[in-house]
Amino acid sequence: MIGTMLSILQGLSVTLQVTCLGLLFALPFMFICGVAQYLATGFARLAVTALIEFWRSSPVIVLLFVFYYSLPAFGITLPAVLVGSMVLGLNAGGYASQAVRAALQGLAPGQVEAGRSLGFRRLPILLLIELPQALPIMMPSFINQFIQLLKGTSLVSLIMLTDMTFRAKEIAQVTYDPAGVYSGLLLSYLIVCYPITRLGRWVEGRVARSQGAAHAI
Amino acid sequence: MQFDPAFAIEILPRLLAAIWTTIWVSIAASLLAALMGLGWELLRRSGGVIGACVQFLIDAIRSIPILAQLYFLFFVLPTYGVTLSAYTVGIFSLALYYSSYLAEVFRAGIDSVGKGQFEAAKSLGLSRVITLTHVVLPQVFRQIAAPMGNYFVSLLKSTPYLGVLAVPEMLGAALEIASDTFRYAEPMIMLGILFLALALSIAWLVRRLELRMQRLYER
Repeated sequence: MIGTMLSILQGLSVTLQVTCLGLLFALPFMFICGVAQYLATGFARLAVTALIEFWRSSPVIVLLFVFYYSLPAFGITLPAVLVGSMVLGLNAGGYASQAVRAALQGLAPGQVEAGRSLGFRRLPILLLIELPQALPIMMPSFINQFIQLLKGTSLVSLIMLTDMTFRAKEIAQVTYDPAGVYSGLLLSYLIVCYPITRLGRWVEGRVARSQGAAHAI
Repeated sequence: MQFDPAFAIEILPRLLAAIWTTIWVSIAASLLAALMGLGWELLRRSGGVIGACVQFLIDAIRSIPILAQLYFLFFVLPTYGVTLSAYTVGIFSLALYYSSYLAEVFRAGIDSVGKGQFEAAKSLGLSRVITLTHVVLPQVFRQIAAPMGNYFVSLLKSTPYLGVLAVPEMLGAALEIASDTFRYAEPMIMLGILFLALALSIAWLVRRLELRMQRLYER
């Protein structure tokens, strides 16, 4: 069992690599699109919304197959790691962008008005007044999406990347011990993700309490 | 290999035929997930050791990818002599995974019911089951219709996982076409378009339902 676990955990490096690369796509996407959806009006807003909805509404497993198998038909060949992390990252980023927008919209309008009356331009108001207040409110959602991204990396096993899930499948085929191997796989993900799930709950509780306190004042 | 629009249109009927599997699988799994989610939440509320175990179980299910749970149930159960069809395993896996999220939804819903409701039911001499089914749940469903609907949409979007076990839902059908014809781009792109359309229209339906419920209860 321990030996099996160690072999599965060899795939952890690919799992983490795809997660980190995914964050490189998710973080800029969610802030740029979330803020753009918040600020833009008219046609520009429609375009941003369409972009977000494309990445958010399609199932991530379908997006992965679509991009992995059809980009080559249009003459674009990318490494599987890049396709996997792009799809997973932009999907999670699409969800997270909604948290960015909702948190910004949830601030009292007096904040922007106060900034204007102090002579700030729109960009400094956004960066110095709005985002610092909105960031804590977004945190629970970000942690949730991070867990979704981390769990989503199991899908890259379907495009032949040797992550933990792929390792488990490989070992199960060799050892004929599916019970041991797949229990080991569940346990591996539990060890990696359970602490983050608990952290998410803790942050959620804290944010809810501080929000409640703010309303009480 | 170039993208061939004629071929893409030719395979459309085969993909569309699989849409019904996607839909009935997601309806069955949604119902089961809602029942299990309610069960988790009621057990968790009972507190004590059981409550703590259920809390851990919910967090554990949320921490493990659906794909890993699916492989576990599909490959491990047969070694204990339990052989289930790919459909059964798939529906159960999706239901189990989403029940852990729906338990939270039920928690928020039950928390939102006023304490006086429970006290009033008690003072009227209603049994615990009657209190739950006739007093609490009708008020809960009104509160949670929207978040529950959103999770049902997520569940619908997770049905392609079953295609990995060769269940002929839309992804399964697309993979089958691809392995028959050795052309991947067309079936995958058509699959993407169909799924986007399906997910957007179901999400639109859920939003309409939400608005209707809001108006219904504002009177």
